Amino acid sequence: MRGTVLAAVAVTTALTLAGCAKDSGAPSGGGNASGSECKLAPKPPAAVASTTAAKTPEKADGSALKVGLAFDIGGRGDASFNDSAAAGVDKAVAELGVKKENVKELSAGPNEAESAKQTRIRQLASDGVNPIIAVGFAYADALKAVAPSFPNTKFAIVDATVEGATNVTPLVFAEEQGSFLTGVIAAYKSKKCNVGFVGGVETPLIQKFEAGYYQGAKAAAPDIKIAKKYLTPAGDFTGFQDPAKGNAAAQGLVSGGSDVLYHAAGASGKGVFTAAKTAGVSAIGVDSDQYNQKTVEQERDVIISSMLKRVDVAVFDYLLAVAKNDLTKLPKVFDFSVGGVGYSTSGGKIDADLQAVLEGYKAQIVSGQIKVSDKPTS
Amino acid sequence: MTTLISKDPVDGGAVPASRKRKVPGWSKGAIWLAAVIAALSAASYLTGVAQLTASGTLQTALVLAIPILLAALGGLWAERAGVINIGLEGMMIMGTWGAAWAGYQWGPWAALIAAAVFGALGGLVHAIATITFGVNHIVSGVAINLLGAGLTKYLSTLLFQPVSNNPRESPAVPKFDTYSAQPLSDWLADLENMQRVGVSDVAGVLRGLVTGVSPLTMLALLLVPVSYLVLWRSRFGLRLRSCGENPVAAESLGVNVYLHKYAAVVISGALAGLGGAALVLNPGQPGYLEGQTGGRGYIGLAAMIFGNWRPTGLLGGSALFGYVDGLQLRSGGATVMALFYAAVLVLIAIAVWLVARRKVVAAGVTLVGTAALYLFYISVDEMPSQLSTYLPHMVTLIVLAVAAQRLRPPAANGDEYRRGRGH
Repeated sequence: MRGTVLAAVAVTTALTLAGCAKDSGAPSGGGNASGSECKLAPKPPAAVASTTAAKTPEKADGSALKVGLAFDIGGRGDASFNDSAAAGVDKAVAELGVKKENVKELSAGPNEAESAKQTRIRQLASDGVNPIIAVGFAYADALKAVAPSFPNTKFAIVDATVEGATNVTPLVFAEEQGSFLTGVIAAYKSKKCNVGFVGGVETPLIQKFEAGYYQGAKAAAPDIKIAKKYLTPAGDFTGFQDPAKGNAAAQGLVSGGSDVLYHAAGASGKGVFTAAKTAGVSAIGVDSDQYNQKTVEQERDVIISSMLKRVDVAVFDYLLAVAKNDLTKLPKVFDFSVGGVGYSTSGGKIDADLQAVLEGYKAQIVSGQIKVSDKPTS
Repeated sequence: MTTLISKDPVDGGAVPASRKRKVPGWSKGAIWLAAVIAALSAASYLTGVAQLTASGTLQTALVLAIPILLAALGGLWAERAGVINIGLEGMMIMGTWGAAWAGYQWGPWAALIAAAVFGALGGLVHAIATITFGVNHIVSGVAINLLGAGLTKYLSTLLFQPVSNNPRESPAVPKFDTYSAQPLSDWLADLENMQRVGVSDVAGVLRGLVTGVSPLTMLALLLVPVSYLVLWRSRFGLRLRSCGENPVAAESLGVNVYLHKYAAVVISGALAGLGGAALVLNPGQPGYLEGQTGGRGYIGLAAMIFGNWRPTGLLGGSALFGYVDGLQLRSGGATVMALFYAAVLVLIAIAVWLVARRKVVAAGVTLVGTAALYLFYISVDEMPSQLSTYLPHMVTLIVLAVAAQRLRPPAANGDEYRRGRGH
């Protein structure tokens, strides 16, 4: 009897294997839903002049500063957020005369306790480090607790505002403005007039990306379809580092007909890129110029642009302001007008025509003709 | 084939002995599968949510279920030998690292082997701690989880950073080719696109399961019957399970309990490691990433408990987690509501069956539950994503609450064993 079973299993297996065919030969289609190119809205008037007027390099002496950097998970070398902050400090070392040995960097661990963050900040502050830059909104609560006990130390936090602590400078960005332009890019690049957004975690910060993207796409093509997908709800931060889920969500969007995908999902974005590559659609990166990122090298040809969030600019400007001992001139929000956000053109997918359109929209945003809301409408 | 199965004495543990004619285990599984497909097709037709049985959804579900399935199998092996393995998560993490390390240098098959070896190493540590030194299984498991996370963090800073410029990620790992059963897959695609009621749904489900399958997925699915045959049908497996039920009795019959427990936990680690490899090697995954497992080891453990420490049951549990996750990620809350509709249909069927078996009270309770579920379905348009993400967890909780009396873990699960100290 057992022999019969084994034989049956063996025969079935053999038959199944014989019927297997490799998938890599045949090209897979980009979804079932049909559609046609968008009817584009009239192009905005061309930008008169370069809107981000090159600032004359300001001089300040930062040699007395002892700079502390408290990184978010990952630290230097994440090719994204933390590296960008580190680049701002490096620039300050080069241009403001901040001494290299006076820069202290500390990294965070994944899922570490809140007290670990507080300890890190407290440790920097008690060592006499001033200013201290906390990279990432995860530090908001820690700063709120620690900053009041060091009234003479200057703190800054990227991506968050800390209520009630006067010595904490928020370094926040107009992600919705940068995302507005990626929405425009998506609308111009979509062949089916259907684009998608993948968010990592449904927090107000990521919703800013979604809101801007939505408005940009609608502005460029009023009848465009925009689908969105968040990987995890607020509070569950695994959505930022789960490429498997990013991949699944992107596949879902593609099967719904989207052919340009914009992600604001941290490391999960890689799953979005691989899905885009398999399905033959385009993708837009986030935070840094992802086309040039080593870890997504194999998928780079689907990355048509990236929304740039210039943490380095904000960090450098902050250090400059501290060196001059004048924090009042620091912009409240790092937006287009100060070069805090932008888009990348690496890869050559953004041609001169599209670039002119983007600059046109950018000029309108800077002048206030277009107001980009940071809350999603739906 | 029936004679083969009905010989099984332990099999009947969860089934009341009073039942006269026993349905063989494999056909019960087939009936459940058919019922689930029927319910999904019906719900898909009645609610108009085609995503429920679309081949893409099933494909995603399969990819998401495989790591959970392998972790669950790992849990099955360890716990059947009486060692609670909460360290699956840590072993999985070690598997992801091993897979990426070997994979980017020597290709996916080497990755698979390295993942199994790394996972097995984690299993070995757990075995030494729990079996030789008698450490509390939970304590050792938690330690393995911390160790896995810490060790891989150290190793990837050491070995990945120079190549990928990032201490949290590996370089890109080459993937397995995927395979489809041709011409079956194309034929099913035609059927699915015809949009016929029922037929197209079934075709969609089947097509999702036979299209774009990686060798790792096939291996994982094959490991379910293999685990069953080894654990329930081979001499080695019966001895191994006797160590989990009553090690003292096993010892008195000359079974080397230590050896069997060691083997079980090391195999368990290797399987969890393979689960980690599935996260690195399945199509669409970039490579090793810190924190990538995201608690899938624990979910595997939950799937195993959901499946009553049985291979077919844990397959169902993993499928549930993978399917709901895939559905939620691909098409969002509205389709998850359609799943509720399918659940209502299944519950009605169960109630009818209960009435036929004259279990009026149970049938009444089921019907009340069904009515509540249906009310929820018609009053809520879209499942909030905060809830739908945790739907499988809630289902597991409900199963644990309702079926706790029928679940039967191995009798000596988690107990310390010392040779020659039996009473």
